Amino acid sequence: MSGSERTVMRAVAYGAAAVVVFVGTLTALPEPAAPEAQGDALPEGSFAVVGATVFDGETFRADHDVWVEDGRIRAIGAALEIPADVSRIEGSGRTLLPGLIDAHVHTFGTTLNDAVRFGVTTVLDQFTDPALAASKRAARETLARGDEADLFTAGMLATADGGHGTQFGIPVEAVSAPADAAAWVAARKAEGSDWIKIVYEDGSPYMDIPSLDPETIGALIAAAHAEGLLAVVHVSKLAHALEVVDLGADGLVHVWGDAVVDDAQAAQIAEAGVFVVPTLSVVTAMSGDGIDPELLQGAGGATASRMQRETLANRFPDLPDEARPAARGETAIANVRRLHAAGARLLAGTDAPNPGTGAGISQHGELQLLARAGLGSAEALAAATATPAAIFGLEDRGRIEAGRIADLVLVDGDLESDVSASTSLAAVWKDGYPVARSIDQETPEVPAAPATTLISDFEEGVGASFGAGWQVSTDQIRGGASTAELSAPQGALRVEGEVVAGDSAFTFPWAGAIYFPGPAPMQPVDFSGREVLRFRTRGDGRGYLVMLFSGGASTAVPPSVPFTAPADWTDVEIPLARFPTATPGLIGGLSFVATAPPGASAGAFAFELDDVEIR
Amino acid sequence: MAVAAGAGARPGLAHRARVYVMETRAQCLTVARTPAFTVPTLIFPLMFYVFFGVVMAFTPTTPTYLLATYGVFGIIPPSLFGFGVGLATERESGALLLKQTTPMPVGAYLFARVAMALLFGAAVVLGLFLLGATAAGVALYRWQWFALAGVVLAGVVPFCALGLAIGAWVRAQAAVAIVNLVYLPMAFLSGLWVPVWVFPSFLQELAVVFPAYHLAQLALKVIAMDEGQPVVLHLAVLGACTVAFLIVASFGFRRVSAP
Repeated sequence: MSGSERTVMRAVAYGAAAVVVFVGTLTALPEPAAPEAQGDALPEGSFAVVGATVFDGETFRADHDVWVEDGRIRAIGAALEIPADVSRIEGSGRTLLPGLIDAHVHTFGTTLNDAVRFGVTTVLDQFTDPALAASKRAARETLARGDEADLFTAGMLATADGGHGTQFGIPVEAVSAPADAAAWVAARKAEGSDWIKIVYEDGSPYMDIPSLDPETIGALIAAAHAEGLLAVVHVSKLAHALEVVDLGADGLVHVWGDAVVDDAQAAQIAEAGVFVVPTLSVVTAMSGDGIDPELLQGAGGATASRMQRETLANRFPDLPDEARPAARGETAIANVRRLHAAGARLLAGTDAPNPGTGAGISQHGELQLLARAGLGSAEALAAATATPAAIFGLEDRGRIEAGRIADLVLVDGDLESDVSASTSLAAVWKDGYPVARSIDQETPEVPAAPATTLISDFEEGVGASFGAGWQVSTDQIRGGASTAELSAPQGALRVEGEVVAGDSAFTFPWAGAIYFPGPAPMQPVDFSGREVLRFRTRGDGRGYLVMLFSGGASTAVPPSVPFTAPADWTDVEIPLARFPTATPGLIGGLSFVATAPPGASAGAFAFELDDVEIR
Repeated sequence: MAVAAGAGARPGLAHRARVYVMETRAQCLTVARTPAFTVPTLIFPLMFYVFFGVVMAFTPTTPTYLLATYGVFGIIPPSLFGFGVGLATERESGALLLKQTTPMPVGAYLFARVAMALLFGAAVVLGLFLLGATAAGVALYRWQWFALAGVVLAGVVPFCALGLAIGAWVRAQAAVAIVNLVYLPMAFLSGLWVPVWVFPSFLQELAVVFPAYHLAQLALKVIAMDEGQPVVLHLAVLGACTVAFLIVASFGFRRVSAP
C-alpha cells in the first residue's frame, strides 16, 4: 500500500468513526414515552386502547386493541400493528365499550351534557320541544368536538287533547281523530322528527286521563309507516301493550307494571318483532325499589350537575297508595324477564330526567336493573349499544367496528362478569375527543339564615321575623282553580280555601300558604345546622302537606311531609332530613297546603298555624 | 504531487483522494489553530442553550424549539467563517494564488471547507442534542432526531455559498466584521432565539428574506413547531439563495482573476 493509500484509508477510517459516533449517539437519544390515560390529559383524534377487554356491541373480546383515527375507529383486533407515534392507553384490567345509547330520555336543561359526561354518547329522545331538537341536529352530523350527546328524537308526541304529555308546558298539537293522523305525521316529519311517539294512557284505574283511542293509534302507526318512520307507543298496561302490538307498533317505550305477561303473550310480542324499552329506572323510582342513586352519582369521578342531583333526589308526587304498590317494580322486572326469555328485543332506556332519575347516570342503573331481570352482561350492554343503533338506523355508531364513530367508554374492571362495574368510568370519548367529566359547579352566594329560630308567632298579623314572608299558594299558577285566603285574627295564621280539580287531569291540585325566608320568593337561604321544623296547628282534622322548595330552577315536584290538623292545638316536629333535596340546608320556600290526587277535588278546608320555627 | 504530475501519468484515484484528504486536514488544522474561531463556534450555541433552553426556559416547549433553532445557529459560523474569512485572507495573502498554481483541483478546495463546516456543525448538533436530552429532558421520536440533524447539517450548503460570496468580495480585515454583521442580526431576525410570531408584524414580514429563517422553519417542521408554510417554499428560497450566492461569488472571482 502506498503512502497515499494509507493516508486516504486513515481519513476514511476517521470519517467512518465520526459517522458511527454521530449515528450511535442519535440512536441512543431518548424517545417520548407512550402517553398514558391520565385524567384530562387523554389523547384525542388518533390513539389506541391496547390490551383491553372489548365489548364490540355484541360480544366480549379479551385482550383486543382498538385504534382510533380522526374521530373514527380505524381498526379492532388482537395484537394490531399500530404505529409507534400513536398514543396508547393501557387497557388491561379495563373494558372498552361503544358509547352508550339511552333509548328513552326527555331533553331539556343540561340533559345532553349530563348524558355524555356519564358515557351516554347518544340519546333517543321520546318527546321534547321540536325547536330544541332542531337546534341540536347539526351536531350529530359532524365529528367536531362537542360536549353534548347526539340527540335523535320523536320531537312532539301524539296524544289526546289534555292527555298525557300535555302537562309539561311544551305546546302539543293534539290528535283528535283517525282522519287527522296522516297530516299530523307529515307535519312531524317536516319538523324533523326521527320517528313517531304515540301515547296510549288513560290513567286507569287511578286517574281518568283523556287518551287516544285504538283507531287513532292504528291510523297514526299506519301513517308513520307510510312516511317511512318507526312508530313507538307509550303504554303502562299489559292490555294496551297487546292491543298496540296488534295495531302494528314497532316498539313500546315502557314496560307495564300492572300485570305479568304470560308466555304466550310474550311470544306474541317477540314474534311481532316489537321492541320494548322497559325504562325500569323510572318504573322502580315510582315504586321506590330502584337502584340507590348514591351508588351511581360518583360514577368514575364524574361530577353530577345540579340538575342531575335534583332530578335524582326528586320523588314522584304522592299518589294514592294503591297507585304505587311496591310490587309494581317487581312486576315490571318480571315482565322484562319473560319478554327476554321469549326472545323479544329489549333496549336500555331510563326516561330521565323524570323524578328519581338523572340523565346519563341512570343508564348505569338501568343496566343493573336489566341484569336483575336476567339479562347477561353482553345482553344488557347490547341493549344499550348495538341493538338500539340497528333498530333506529344509526349505522355509524353502537358498535366498535372499523369505520364507526369513535364514541367510546372505557371502564375500570371486567364488565363481562359484573355489569355494575360500568359505573367505574375511566374515560369517555365523543367523536374521538375525550369528554371532560367534571364540571365547575355553580355556587351562588346564599345568605345564611338569621340567628333567630322563630319565623312567625302571628301576634302582629300575617308577618314573619325575616324574609319575604307568607303568601297564598295555589295551583292557579299552573292553571288550576283552587283557592286560599290567609288571615291572623287571633295570634295565629288562619288558612282556608277550597281544593278543586283543574281542567287538566295532570294538574296536581293544591291550596294553602307558603313562607319565603329569602328577600324574594324562592330565593334560597342557608339553614345549615338547623335540624327541625316546628309549628303548632289545629284545624278541620284533615291531612295536609309541608313542602320544601330548595330554590333551584327545577320544575319538579318538591319533597313533602304530611301532617294532620286536629281540632285542638297540637305540636308538630318534622326533621329537615325528611325533605330529601339536592342541596340540604337550602330553603327557598316552605308551603303548608291541602292537596288532592291529580284530577280530583278535596273540597273546602281550614287549618291554623302558630309558632313556626326552624331550629 | 509534483512527482506524480512529473511522471506524466494521470494521477491515480488514491492520489486524487489524498489531495482532498490533505486539503481537508489542512483546513481543519488551520481552523483548529484559530481559537478565536473554534471557541465561539463550538461553545456559544451550547452555552446559549444552557442559558435559554435549560436554565431560563420560559415555556415547556422552549427546550425543544431551541434545539432546532440553535442547531441552525450552530452551523452558520463554520460555513460562513470557513469560506468568508478564510477565503478573503487566502486571497489577499496570495495563498490562494499559490494554491491555484498547484494541480490541486478546485473541488478539493471546496470539499475541504464544506467538510470542515459539516464536522463542526455535527459536533455542535451532537452537543446540543445531548444537552437537550439530558439537561432539558427533551424526548423526540428517533426519526425526528435523525431528521432534525439531517435538515440542520444540510443547511451548511446555502451558508457555505454565502461565505463564498463574502470571501470573494470582501477584504480580509473587513471579513470578520462583515460575517458577524450578517450572521448575528440574521440569526435573531430569523427566529433562532425567539419564535418569529412574537415579533412585531413588520419584523415577521422581514424574517422571510433570510435564508436562516427558511432553514429554521424546515428544522422546526420536523418537530411540528414551524409557522405552517409549505416545505417547497423553504426549499425554493434556500435553493435560490444558494444559486444567487454562487453567481455573486463567481463574479467576485472573475474580478480577482482579471487584474
